[in-house]
Amino acid sequence: MKDKILELTNEAKDSIQEVSELQALNDIRVKYLGKKGELTLVLRGMGDVSPEERPIIGSLINEAKEEIENLIKQKEENLRNAELNEQLKKETIDVTFPSKQRGIGSIHPITKIIDEVKDIFLGLGYTVADGPEVETAHYNFDQLNTPLGHPARDLQDTFYITDDIVLRSQTSPVQARVMENQKPPIKIICPGAVYRSDSVDATHSPVFHQIEGLIIDKHITMADLKGTLEIFAKKCLGENTKIRFRPHHFPFTEPSAEADVSCFVCGGKGCRVCKGEGWIELLGCGMVHPNVLRNCGISPEEYSGFAFGFGVERIAMAKYGIDDMRLLYENDVRFLKQF
Amino acid sequence: MKASVEWLKEYANINIEPKELGDILTMTGSKVEAIEQKGNDIKNVVVGKILEIKKHPDADKLVVTKVNIGDEIVQIVTGADNIKENDIVPIAKDGSELPGGIKIKKGNLRGVDSCGMMCSVGELGLKVEDYPGQIEHGIMILPKEYEEYIGKDIVDVLNLREDIIEFEITSNRPDCFSIEGLGRETAVSLGAPFIAPRKNLDDINVEKVNEINGLKVDIEAPDLCYRYIARVVENVKIGPSPEWMQRRLRACGVRAINNIVDITNYVMLELGQPMHAFDINSIDGKHICVRRAKQNEEIITLDGEKRTLNTENLVIADEKKPVAIAGVMGGENSEIEDTTKTVVFESAVFNGASVRLTAKSVGLRTEASSRYEKGLSAENALRAINRAVELVELMGAGTVVEKYIDVYPTKQKINEINFEPDRINALLGTNVSKEEMIKIFESLEIKVEGDKVIAPYFRPDLEQLADIAEEVLRIYGYDKLETTYVNADTTLGVKNKKQKLEDNLRRTLVARGYSEVCTYAFINQKDLEKCNILEDNELNNTIKIKNKLSEDYTMMRTTTLPSMMQTIATNYTKKNKDVNLFEIARIYTDTKNNIENGEIPEEPTILSLAVYGEQENFYTVKGIIENILETANIKRYEIEKEDLDTSMHPR
Repeated sequence: MKDKILELTNEAKDSIQEVSELQALNDIRVKYLGKKGELTLVLRGMGDVSPEERPIIGSLINEAKEEIENLIKQKEENLRNAELNEQLKKETIDVTFPSKQRGIGSIHPITKIIDEVKDIFLGLGYTVADGPEVETAHYNFDQLNTPLGHPARDLQDTFYITDDIVLRSQTSPVQARVMENQKPPIKIICPGAVYRSDSVDATHSPVFHQIEGLIIDKHITMADLKGTLEIFAKKCLGENTKIRFRPHHFPFTEPSAEADVSCFVCGGKGCRVCKGEGWIELLGCGMVHPNVLRNCGISPEEYSGFAFGFGVERIAMAKYGIDDMRLLYENDVRFLKQF
Repeated sequence: MKASVEWLKEYANINIEPKELGDILTMTGSKVEAIEQKGNDIKNVVVGKILEIKKHPDADKLVVTKVNIGDEIVQIVTGADNIKENDIVPIAKDGSELPGGIKIKKGNLRGVDSCGMMCSVGELGLKVEDYPGQIEHGIMILPKEYEEYIGKDIVDVLNLREDIIEFEITSNRPDCFSIEGLGRETAVSLGAPFIAPRKNLDDINVEKVNEINGLKVDIEAPDLCYRYIARVVENVKIGPSPEWMQRRLRACGVRAINNIVDITNYVMLELGQPMHAFDINSIDGKHICVRRAKQNEEIITLDGEKRTLNTENLVIADEKKPVAIAGVMGGENSEIEDTTKTVVFESAVFNGASVRLTAKSVGLRTEASSRYEKGLSAENALRAINRAVELVELMGAGTVVEKYIDVYPTKQKINEINFEPDRINALLGTNVSKEEMIKIFESLEIKVEGDKVIAPYFRPDLEQLADIAEEVLRIYGYDKLETTYVNADTTLGVKNKKQKLEDNLRRTLVARGYSEVCTYAFINQKDLEKCNILEDNELNNTIKIKNKLSEDYTMMRTTTLPSMMQTIATNYTKKNKDVNLFEIARIYTDTKNNIENGEIPEEPTILSLAVYGEQENFYTVKGIIENILETANIKRYEIEKEDLDTSMHPR
């Protein structure tokens, strides 16, 4: 009996060794360990064994079963691993192949600048105001201290729809509308399209975008204006940007200034972009003209405020190194995707 | 306005370079547009005397000359035919430079050495009309007496060195449209005393009359003509004005004509008051009448052009005809001629806006009109006419009649402003002392009387506190302004719903591969036709631009389709593959025809998408639209077939 067990064990071991498929391995398990398996049958033949030998034979069978069981398990694991490896090998990919996904799109550079400016002024507690582009002469001119006969009202500069309706030549009418309808404090920026009767060329366009800012409150000073614009210039054009005020004249501000920034290309040493000056003209600004405040029902004795405005295209062109304004409106995707 | 530094020096001690002066003046508000340093671009050009002219051995059109240029005698070959032996001419020596960066070197013309070049007026950067007797195509022949200057630098001999600064004059500062005004600004900006050589011009001892030598003046339109002063000069001898005057006119870009006309231009440049001179014999009835023109009345102006006027235009007329368009240009019929014996000088002040509109309607913007349109001081007019007759006497151009006519229906208002130093500092955010403010005002001739300041006659732009605050700041120094932060109650800076939605839509679309475009809101009728928008479609009810720039941009869009199609076409022409575009933009609809009633139209914001490419079809676009609706938090929607839109595929 002992010999029989040993023989079966060896036979099973050899079979396990040779087997190379999971199914065959399972067959071996059934053959030796199954309910009708050969070792099981040996166990059943225990009746012929003397009572003294029974425990010895019993444990021999159990040991053999256990050994075979373990071998099968091990083999099974080996076979599974081999199979997985085979599968993984088959499924190998080349990560350097180009992707099939379409890329993300892009935000127009004009929107990008407007967004950047909005973010800066939202952070300073300003809200974003909006107004009509087809505007009355009343808001575009009269309320802004630009009475009838003023050169800014000329046909050569402004598009007229009727004698009283124009395409706004600036975003300032939004300011006038807000001042009329809201009590101070007022803190707004007004981005948007404006229209001037200029033919299209590399630096002119009959439509362009402006951002104007306005604050009206008690105790607002011209030094505050300079401080605010300095924050803006540093955030928008770089922390080392310096700002310079020059006297100028605008009908809706007094005192008025033109603000220059140190050239953000050369840092003020003088280069092609700043034409060797070291400074770039950035925007027009000033303290809101008392006549404008009065026109909008705000007392200049009680309140003061400042306003500033600049062309978005100019900043976009300088900042992104675009040398022809027409590119901004041509909308060639190869250009757009650079932003 | 061009100003020569030499002339400005009459008003202030200037001992710095033009560039530095320009920078200083820019920072006090007189912005410099350009600086021209004449004479610096001519180097090594001297006076020479032609000793001998011989034929070129191998060229019919060339001659070989020997020229004495002081330290040596050189041989020069030239093609000029207006020279003869013993002529004195400008010689560009070997190694010389001429305007425009032209360099002259020793050369060889058809086998003969040529050591330099004889110069024409043009080659020296000069104008023939400034040098009577010279010709355009030929060598500049200098006067015989210049023989004593042989070998001397032509720049010194012709006195060509001149520094000219060109200023941008803002519309609020007509006083700076003059050398006197710029001179005052120069003095104040340099912190130097203002030398006022024309101080007491309004203080004259001549009799004010209603009639001089039969001449009378009437203002029929006092709303457009605030003052009209006339003086008469007899025994006029028309001739060229003196060189010093011509030179200053030239420097300021004005052509010299004759002594009388030059005086009017000189006074305009000097004092900022345009003047006019008539021949008294051309004034019918010797009666000057300032009136509105009749509809379609005609006048031939001094430039020889016929101008048709309307009733909005102001004219200077006699009893029969207009003799000048007020503030713009004189008429040919009353022009000063060589035979003129008696001259009427006019110094008048007109409504600025009216002159500007007249100049525009007749299409003629002149030195005079560009000054008038800014609104001139009526007080200055008397100074100007007195200066003109002073110059007549100085130049011996005629006998001044010691009388003047002065019709002055509306006296210029002199502005008084409360002087509140604290409020000025509060507005500016400065800490300028009252004493310093007074000093600034006095340097600008703004009088301080107790708690008031009185604006000088030449500064009608100073009306209220903000105006004088600006004066304080620009002289104190814009660059000294500190940077402070707004000290006020905290406010909340947040975007509204629409702004947030636009941001979110952009984010979704960009993530889905769409690029944002920016197009013009202008379209034309053809654009609508191209999009198959039929005649009865209300999208044809567009807002038209009255003064359209071109046939491409005649109306405001009622749909973004044409702009988007144009963009798609541009990309397709450029052979871009797989194009996905979007735009968030306005359309302009006047469905209720509100514009006629002076009301503004509606401007809804439209999101438009356009795609083309191999991967795209109706369902990919539908997917994007679903994304858009999701972004807008719209959950209940249906997508239906639209059969009526004529712009879209009918199936």
